[in-house]
Amino acid sequence: MDNIFAVILLATLRMATPLILTTTGAVFSVRAGVSEIGCEGMMIAGAFFGVLGSYLSGNAWVGVLVGVFFGMLFALLHGVLHVIFKVNQTISGMSVNLLAAAIAPLLIKLIWHTNSLTGNVASISSLEQSFLKEIPLIGGFLSQLNLFFYLAILFAVSGWFYIFKTKSGLRMRTVGENPLAASTLGINVIAYKLTGTAICGVLSGLGGVYLSLGQLSQYVDGMTAGRGYMAMVINTFGHYNPIGAIVGSLFFGFFDALQIIFQSSNIPSQFLMMLPYLVTLLVVVFGLKNTRQPAGVGKHHDA
Amino acid sequence: MALLEMRNICKRFNTVIALDKVDFNLDQGEVVSLLGENGAGKTTLMKVLYGMVKPDEGEICFSGNRVTIDKPSAAIKLGIYMVHQHFMLMPAMTVVENIIVGEETGKGILLDKKEALDRVQSLIEEYNFDIDANAKVAGLSVGQCQRVELLKALYREADILILDEPTAVLTPTEVEELFAAVRKLKIAGKSIVIITHKLKETMAIADRVCVLRNGCMVEEDILPEHTCAAELSRLMVGRLVDLEVRHPAQQIGSVVLSANDISINYGQGNCLKHITLNVRAGEILGIAGVEGNGQSLLLRTLTGLESGEFIHIKLDGVEMKCSPKVFLSSGIGHIPEDRTTMGIVGDMSIKDNLILGYHRQKSFSLYGLRRDREIKSNAIQLVGKNAIKTDSIDTPVKSLSGGNQQKVMLARTFSQPLRALIIAQPTRGVDVGAMEYIHNQILSLRDQGVAILLVSADLDEVCTLSDRIAVIYEGEIVRECLPGELSKVELGLYMTGSSGKSAEK
Amino acid sequence: MGTQFNKLKSNPMIRKTGFSCFALFLSLLCGAVIIGYSGYSPINIYKVIFVDTLSSKSGIMLALSQATPLMFTGMAFAIAYKVKIINLGEEGQLHCGAMAAAIVGAYIPNLPHLPHVFMALVAGAVAGGMVGLLTGVLKIHFGASEIITSLLLNSIIVYITSYLCNGPLKPLDSSSPQTPFINESARLTRLVPKTQLTTAILIAIAIAVLLHLLMSKLTLGYEMKAVGLNLNAANVHGISIARIYLFTMILSSAIAGLCGSTLVLGVNGRYVEDISLNYGFAGISVAALASYEPLAVPITAIIFGILKAGAFTVDRTTNIPVELVSVVQAFVVVFIAAPKLTEFILGIFNNIPGMKQKTGGC
Repeated sequence: MDNIFAVILLATLRMATPLILTTTGAVFSVRAGVSEIGCEGMMIAGAFFGVLGSYLSGNAWVGVLVGVFFGMLFALLHGVLHVIFKVNQTISGMSVNLLAAAIAPLLIKLIWHTNSLTGNVASISSLEQSFLKEIPLIGGFLSQLNLFFYLAILFAVSGWFYIFKTKSGLRMRTVGENPLAASTLGINVIAYKLTGTAICGVLSGLGGVYLSLGQLSQYVDGMTAGRGYMAMVINTFGHYNPIGAIVGSLFFGFFDALQIIFQSSNIPSQFLMMLPYLVTLLVVVFGLKNTRQPAGVGKHHDA
Repeated sequence: MALLEMRNICKRFNTVIALDKVDFNLDQGEVVSLLGENGAGKTTLMKVLYGMVKPDEGEICFSGNRVTIDKPSAAIKLGIYMVHQHFMLMPAMTVVENIIVGEETGKGILLDKKEALDRVQSLIEEYNFDIDANAKVAGLSVGQCQRVELLKALYREADILILDEPTAVLTPTEVEELFAAVRKLKIAGKSIVIITHKLKETMAIADRVCVLRNGCMVEEDILPEHTCAAELSRLMVGRLVDLEVRHPAQQIGSVVLSANDISINYGQGNCLKHITLNVRAGEILGIAGVEGNGQSLLLRTLTGLESGEFIHIKLDGVEMKCSPKVFLSSGIGHIPEDRTTMGIVGDMSIKDNLILGYHRQKSFSLYGLRRDREIKSNAIQLVGKNAIKTDSIDTPVKSLSGGNQQKVMLARTFSQPLRALIIAQPTRGVDVGAMEYIHNQILSLRDQGVAILLVSADLDEVCTLSDRIAVIYEGEIVRECLPGELSKVELGLYMTGSSGKSAEK
Repeated sequence: MGTQFNKLKSNPMIRKTGFSCFALFLSLLCGAVIIGYSGYSPINIYKVIFVDTLSSKSGIMLALSQATPLMFTGMAFAIAYKVKIINLGEEGQLHCGAMAAAIVGAYIPNLPHLPHVFMALVAGAVAGGMVGLLTGVLKIHFGASEIITSLLLNSIIVYITSYLCNGPLKPLDSSSPQTPFINESARLTRLVPKTQLTTAILIAIAIAVLLHLLMSKLTLGYEMKAVGLNLNAANVHGISIARIYLFTMILSSAIAGLCGSTLVLGVNGRYVEDISLNYGFAGISVAALASYEPLAVPITAIIFGILKAGAFTVDRTTNIPVELVSVVQAFVVVFIAAPKLTEFILGIFNNIPGMKQKTGGC
């Protein structure tokens, strides 16, 4: 399947993978009533510490775990500052972004003694050698996808199931809609908000890990390129639903993929790279009219 | 032995005594009405029962056994459930979801939507509630929302239901539906406490009435058939005789401010219905009413904060553009009802607060530059004239006492040349001494020919100051009269919908 | 003694300064952890950063010139925050202004010095201001959150300027992305020869004074203050919220754009892709440490300038990278933003026996 459609589709799915993961994380955060503005920082943490973990252990999967762990850690910083110390959620989220963006280059210099690139480390490659290749017709195509893509779909679907089909998910949604009402029903509001934020950190971290360990095998300063913020928009676009996150991510991933397709054409590369952001901006301005986020975002149950 | 006994409950909030050695009993299968004015302590007493407020003293006994209720879940475990005055619902979620969350159906972690629906549906049918269980709460009427709250209690198999001001936002028909439900609950063996200030409903539904006033249980065990609304009103308010001295207006001029047939509807009981008001120079028109009957909306309309095709406010016969800036600069003064959120900027200095709203006047601002000297001298003058207790005019206003904050707000407006004044809750949170001073200031303004509209939940205040009284109930002016024409008790009946127009419905 | 101390404690300016100092101290403490991890003594390193930098002329000059762009971006963030607007688009506004100044500086010939410089500076401010106008309009008329739109505009603008200096505006004889050198007539004068210090710092201080005058002497500043402190009360008393938001957003982004101008017209002499060393986001820390007071921003900018200059030295002579500064700055935002957190930590200090005396007790 060497035709142009396969190439575009493949690129789209690749670009969509980190978006699906991060946006699903964002869904959890907002559904629990906490702003997802820290997603960018959580992705950076995941991307960088994933590489660090892989470097220190020599094992890519250990790196993944480390990356995810630090994504969660940064998320909890945001969560604790906002939920317990009642900091304005935009500021607590932005401070996570600033901290992650500052720590990564610092540690790169300290450990690798270079400016913005780490060396190559063990990474996660696509599933070329796996059983998928045996599947008739689409096997060749499917096997070119990274494991992370399948994980992303898995987490998104599981997320959807948790939020809309389980008791615990119902309680989390209640916390996000009306924390005061939730507390009168005996629900532990703080626990749910922190859990939602932590899950956001785990998934966004995983999204970041994919960028560094899945797509490449190193961390490059600035590699997240605002995808965390894009995830915020996709989240709203997808009505705070993981399935919507998949659809939205594919849409935005497509524009992200265009730059690969048109790489050799006459269009200046900057315009292609700019396209996803422009589309995102247009969606924000014109396309989000009727979406309302959970009514209790940013609200506390005791104030 | 009573099902529930509350003995000697005391509670203080800072310097205010909310509950003073209150006893309260409840038997099984009875409907008790807990009656009292705003601030009498009825909600606080029930919040103690529900574990939301910790009493300083006293004990609660359940079926003879002493219990400790330190949080709502403890109360729910005992079978007590409280339906709050302000709905605790999630509008974006369905009726079923709102009801079951916290006590969900289903095995393990899975949510069994079908079982939940069946259970809720059977409850709806049993009590004849007429709600679509799958509808989103956002689309329900206020009465239906109320029933969802009741269903929450029933679903949790509560035996004691506390309803806090349940009829506050219901139409008369919805009130009837609620009562029918309450009667069914009673037959099913539930006990119900209704916190209310509405006499008509108390007489209609309660088996027994308890009256609270200023944190004290004035009388318990009153049987509705042995009393009447007037007597209950007297117990609630405390006085029969009008002791306040009146200073009637000497010279009333022509109409200054008029509002013609204003109707607004924001849903959920937040509305105005065909309001027509005329305020004359040198008179005080007092709007009496229990809070939540449209006063806020009326105030917003008369101060330019509500604009719309059908809103026509005229000053001296000329129609005004609806914007607060225009209203203020045309000489319509505004003392807002909520000092902290609308009246003052807490973190700003006293000096700066004293020009808020008038800061662009030539006396305070020249070509966009602040006139520091004039602002300062204005502040010094006003602080002195009004005896505002402060060390300096530069301290932030939030560090002043409530009474002094109020004085700042009043001093600011009263020092301006006014044609009309819209003033709400002028003495809320203010001690007695300041109260008298503020009243004198309002009267003095009136005698200078200002047309004054006074909105107050304090009936005494309205009766003392007004030259004409209008009672607002559910967004409508239900009665206009002269002071002295009706007794306070009779006015109270209009305020609570038990008399006149509304009683005929 | 006790009552005197209590009186000092209740003075708002003293409280804010003390609070900022403590937040800075905590942030430096966090930095010390990193220094310690790298195998050095934090005391020694901080001595080099602060003391050594200030004891040499070149050190002071470097500190001041590093502080200058931070003064602009810090003031831009601070003035927006006065109205409770969070301007996250400073990077983009800066680049936009830089490009505009680079164009005016390079392509307009035969102008005397002062008018040329003035025009180029204004071009940058206007360019930045237009970005702010767009952000503000999107917020007011389309309800689009300025947080997202300004962040997205950052990326979009940087790609556009990158295209320009890689393509149409790139001089034929240069191999790296840049615009042509500006004419000498457009250059900012160096204050001290052979250093990076230009008249930009004077412009920054002038703006600080002007902003202070705006907030304290102009009725408009009074209205801005009211909107920031109590939106509802301001609305009830006839202040137009939309007007104030739009004005402040334009002002804030114009200052960021002006920062870009000074970077191009100063030492760089042209637009390059890395003209901004993250000055936009660093401005948040500078503003936070200054308690969002425009007049205090130059002071905190200089503090961070010293930190940066010293960190350069440390970077050359030890293993510790200059990025340490960014980490300390990020921590400053955390500690300033969480008064309760800082009070909590202060409370821990208070309860250590022996420390109680120091804080004066009650």
